[in-house]
Amino acid sequence: MRGRPYELPIAQPPRLPCRYPCSHRVRCAPGSLTLSDLSLQRRSGLRGSDVPDWLVQQGLPRVDTPNRIEAAGEQQWVMALSKREFWMLDGNQTALEERPASVAVTPNAWPLYCQHSHVWWHLSGDDRAALMAKLCGVDLSEAVFPVGHVAQTQMARISVIVAHHDWQGVAGFSLFLDQSLAAYAWSALEDAMQEFGAC
Amino acid sequence: MKRMQCPLNGLRNISEFVYGGQVTTMPNPATCTDKQWAHYVFYEDNDIGVMREWWLHAPSGYWFIAERHNASDEIVRTYDASECFSSRVDFSASETAS
Repeated sequence: MRGRPYELPIAQPPRLPCRYPCSHRVRCAPGSLTLSDLSLQRRSGLRGSDVPDWLVQQGLPRVDTPNRIEAAGEQQWVMALSKREFWMLDGNQTALEERPASVAVTPNAWPLYCQHSHVWWHLSGDDRAALMAKLCGVDLSEAVFPVGHVAQTQMARISVIVAHHDWQGVAGFSLFLDQSLAAYAWSALEDAMQEFGAC
Repeated sequence: MKRMQCPLNGLRNISEFVYGGQVTTMPNPATCTDKQWAHYVFYEDNDIGVMREWWLHAPSGYWFIAERHNASDEIVRTYDASECFSSRVDFSASETAS
């Protein structure tokens, strides 16, 4: 029987010091659901009234509607959490080791610490909405939560950001939640996955 | 479960929200008395009726205003704080030092 990713010792410590033993190990359920840990991939955030214009200057898409996510390239996305808060996700690069600067990028665009505060998981599979329905009060079915939508809500009673987008060509939910709650949330997802034939 | 309409995130379970107190007018911190400031910070009117209240949608960290009857718990309306507050209030060092 495979061990749980968050209880396994790390043979090769990742370059990024983590507060929990995350890795790229994947917990999978063949044919139905796959839960992947992308926490070591790069993500950064900005908050402020100047951020939309700054994104355009960087050649990134301007996402004007809150709670939406748009592709910004191959394995790259911009996620709008409000009219003034945006996260940039980069699946091609590993996470930055240093902390983001505490100074404004522009007068009204301040960096956020989402790399260091939130884990990044990706849940794919046809039953992903049915699985989340066991843990989350928001309807995440395709009809009301299509690709490109984001929900800031609770999962298993903890705060989570759910973003519906493709990862390596497969649609699924990216989950962002507090790193200190990662072990609990992973076990809650694993427990919920049992119903769907998880290995 | 009760539900509340979040202006940013839509209809959500009430367990996702945190009450933040009544919306009251802030006195000028440079000219008001300590008693006036203490009343603003620590006291509420405790009337019964439809009140304007601060509420937080915790998963998104979003503060907004709700008009709620504090006896029947009926939520009349929720809206972004920008409907009431259009400008930022900055506090100078001299005003916050004492």
